[in-house]
Amino acid sequence: MIWFLRRLAISVGLVWVVATIVFMAIHLVPGDPAELLLSQGGVAPDPAAVAELRTQLGLDRPILTQYADSMTRLLRGDLGRSLQDDTSVAQEIGRRLPRTLELIGAAMLLAIGLGVPSGAAAAMRRGGLWDRLATGLSGVLLSVPVFVLGTVMVFIFAQRLHWVPAGGYVAFTQSPGLHLLLLSMPAAAIGVGLAAVVFRMSRTAVLDVAGRDFVRTARAKGVAPGRIMRHHVLRNALLPVVTIVALHLGSLLGGTVLVEYVFNWPGLSGLLVSAVVARDYPEVVGVVFTISVLFVALNLLVDVLYAVLDPRVRYG
Amino acid sequence: MKLARGPVIAVAVIAGLALAAPLLGLPDPIRMDVAHRMAQPSWQHPLGLDEFGRDELSRIVWGARASLAVAFAASLIAGLVGTSIGVVGGFLRGIVELTLLRAVDVVLCFPPLLLALLVVTVLGPGAGTLILVLSVLYVPGFARVAYAGTLSVRAQDYVEAMRALGATRPRIMLRTILPNIIGPVLVQLSLAAAAAIVLESGLSFLGLGVVPPTPSWGLAIGAARATMDQAPLLLLWPCLALTATILAMNALCDALRDALEPHAAPRTTGQRLRDLLTPGRAVPSGDRLLELRGLTVAIETPQGTVRPVREVSLTVAEGETLAIVGESGSGKTLTGLALLGLLPEAARVLTGSARFDGADLLRLGETSWRGLRGDALAMVFQDPMSSLNPLHRVGAQIAEAITSHNNVSAAEAAARAVALLREVGIPDPARRARAFPHEMSGGMRQRVMIAMAIANGPRLVVADEPTASLDVTIQAQVLDLLAELKQQSGLALIFISHSLPVVAEIADRVAVMYAGEIVEEGPVDAVFGAPLHPYTAGLIASAPSEDGKPPQAIGGTVPSPEIVLPGCRFAPRCSRRIDRCESEPAAMVEVTPGRRSRCLRWAEL
Repeated sequence: MIWFLRRLAISVGLVWVVATIVFMAIHLVPGDPAELLLSQGGVAPDPAAVAELRTQLGLDRPILTQYADSMTRLLRGDLGRSLQDDTSVAQEIGRRLPRTLELIGAAMLLAIGLGVPSGAAAAMRRGGLWDRLATGLSGVLLSVPVFVLGTVMVFIFAQRLHWVPAGGYVAFTQSPGLHLLLLSMPAAAIGVGLAAVVFRMSRTAVLDVAGRDFVRTARAKGVAPGRIMRHHVLRNALLPVVTIVALHLGSLLGGTVLVEYVFNWPGLSGLLVSAVVARDYPEVVGVVFTISVLFVALNLLVDVLYAVLDPRVRYG
Repeated sequence: MKLARGPVIAVAVIAGLALAAPLLGLPDPIRMDVAHRMAQPSWQHPLGLDEFGRDELSRIVWGARASLAVAFAASLIAGLVGTSIGVVGGFLRGIVELTLLRAVDVVLCFPPLLLALLVVTVLGPGAGTLILVLSVLYVPGFARVAYAGTLSVRAQDYVEAMRALGATRPRIMLRTILPNIIGPVLVQLSLAAAAAIVLESGLSFLGLGVVPPTPSWGLAIGAARATMDQAPLLLLWPCLALTATILAMNALCDALRDALEPHAAPRTTGQRLRDLLTPGRAVPSGDRLLELRGLTVAIETPQGTVRPVREVSLTVAEGETLAIVGESGSGKTLTGLALLGLLPEAARVLTGSARFDGADLLRLGETSWRGLRGDALAMVFQDPMSSLNPLHRVGAQIAEAITSHNNVSAAEAAARAVALLREVGIPDPARRARAFPHEMSGGMRQRVMIAMAIANGPRLVVADEPTASLDVTIQAQVLDLLAELKQQSGLALIFISHSLPVVAEIADRVAVMYAGEIVEEGPVDAVFGAPLHPYTAGLIASAPSEDGKPPQAIGGTVPSPEIVLPGCRFAPRCSRRIDRCESEPAAMVEVTPGRRSRCLRWAEL
């Protein structure tokens, strides 16, 4: 329990660091931030527009006041207003965040559901046909960027085979079947690459654990092979797998941004990309902050999971 | 260092093409020919024209230039900055270490692509922004690798020596530390470059990286999405180019890693070649519980087959304790493991038979083995920490031994596990059963292992150096426990040890092993009182004795198993060797019933 509170405190600290950096990002660049945001290809922006943006972003006040102000607003869950249409950034994020979370969850499930069993199977018959096939395939999958895989999937399954629409989103309440069908493509595009990572780690971990002394002890006790695999090998092999998934969370979230864009999935990234193009600073900051907090939260979740799996962590 | 050639060539070809792009005589990648937009491949334009009528081949080759320039520039900058931070932080330690490395770690709070997008919003897209943001992203990786390397190198004697000689700190860092950590830094460099290519293409794909009309693979894929119906090939080429480049970079990373951190020799598959076993001879079984005849264990290595255990024969009577003693590498542990069919994957039984309870242990199938192991035949291992599963409570691990052989409920098995813990002398057994192995002391853990071994009332227990990892006082307690259990249940024990005092205390009979062979065997008092082999005599002389004589070590070391000698295997270290010892193999001689020696000159000892 104390362990968890300590870990939670670290996460809160990280969120604060993230918030501070996001706040500082615009002030770190030499020159007037408002002018910077409005400049387009070396053309000097209209001084009136710059002045207006300065007031709008509150850039005319002392920097410490700005910082204190932005932190208190964050605490209240206020992420400011969009420069494009003056809507509440927090509200828009709240509407889109569940869709991104759903996509991440589906991709993770797919990656673990595909990666762990295939990795364990490959390890059990090392050097066999499946092992060589799957190891080779995972090497290729690791080298295909998610947006390439997504685009090719759209081309094959939507353009040529007409199995699925090219992308888009339908609420689950409206049409559960179509919702899941539309979800399956982006989830597969992210999940398959991650599955290759999980596959490799599972294979290595199972091979490693199978050679440990306590597995020999289990055999010396006369425990059935299936039970040795489930209770002794897999349980221990999951630890490095969890670690590797945690290490890939960052690229998973980045991949989600790209894949949402490819499949027109109306999560956070559509908002983000259009905001970056329009250089809508409050909206970009809002989304980057939200996803980074999600990143910190997922890392916390992984650590908790790790503690559940490994009793040594809880007391360490 | 041996580097696989394929990936190096592949990356060199791609980089070469990118560098030589202006020299290849390709059409201008930016010149448009809108009239022929999306033209099919032709002699003039082998890959056709893109959606603005620009030559696709030329754009792919020039695109490599954009991608690789950004990726290599960013990873080189990150490498220089990150490595400097890591080396300086690791070398100077203290406050410098803390500030530098913590500051760098801040970058890791963000998913990489998101941080990149934040910077692009502030600075606007473009190659310069890309290089800046990618270098920032990869600095922590280099800093961590260099820091870890520096920490391990700075403790080395030669660094201390440099310091003692008065070398300046920058000089030590540049000339001594840097060359020693360059390997992992190079691996990190290839990893960063590969990751940078992925990220650059992703940002360009979103239209937030390289600015049009500069050719870029990411941009090309993004553009081809709109026209993939009419011109699917325009989608294919940049996807192929990008994937092939990343594949080559990843292969290069693997090759670099393999070259710098060589893995152990590939192990052979676990297939047991049982047809190699000689047919078991009919062995008489009186009150003999175990009768091992001519056991030879083989291990396949890249250098050929070695035999760490040769022609070992042993008998154990009901209720008897037989000790196997010998130095490390004498083959005693492998002999014990072979008896339980638990040899490591690379090792296999070449010849021999082991009659136990009417069956030949060395020829059992895995299913019959399972019924026997942990039931009539059990083993206690050397290191109880690694031999217990760290993730399960000790009570559950003992209960598992019970449920594997008896059809009892989980509650019944748990209750029996607690009773067993009490039997092996663990106080408060009900509470201790719920503990994890890491919560117990070494002596406790070994008691748990013993409880596990005796769970189903075995007739023979093989204990492999069960006290080697314990303190002396705990050792004595565990030995007492084993002796006590033996008296209560009448089980037989094979006790493997390198410690003569321990053996003298616990064993009835002793077999001395040297270099894979038994060199002497007999009742423990007779063997220790009047050894009939120079090696046994040497072992006794090298043990601390009570009369205060200084221990005398045997000169030389145990020969490694791959060395084949024509004569006695101990001859090179033997003080009493004669010429015949080195030319003639020493056979086992039965001196008196139950007393055997493998020395040609036993009669003179």
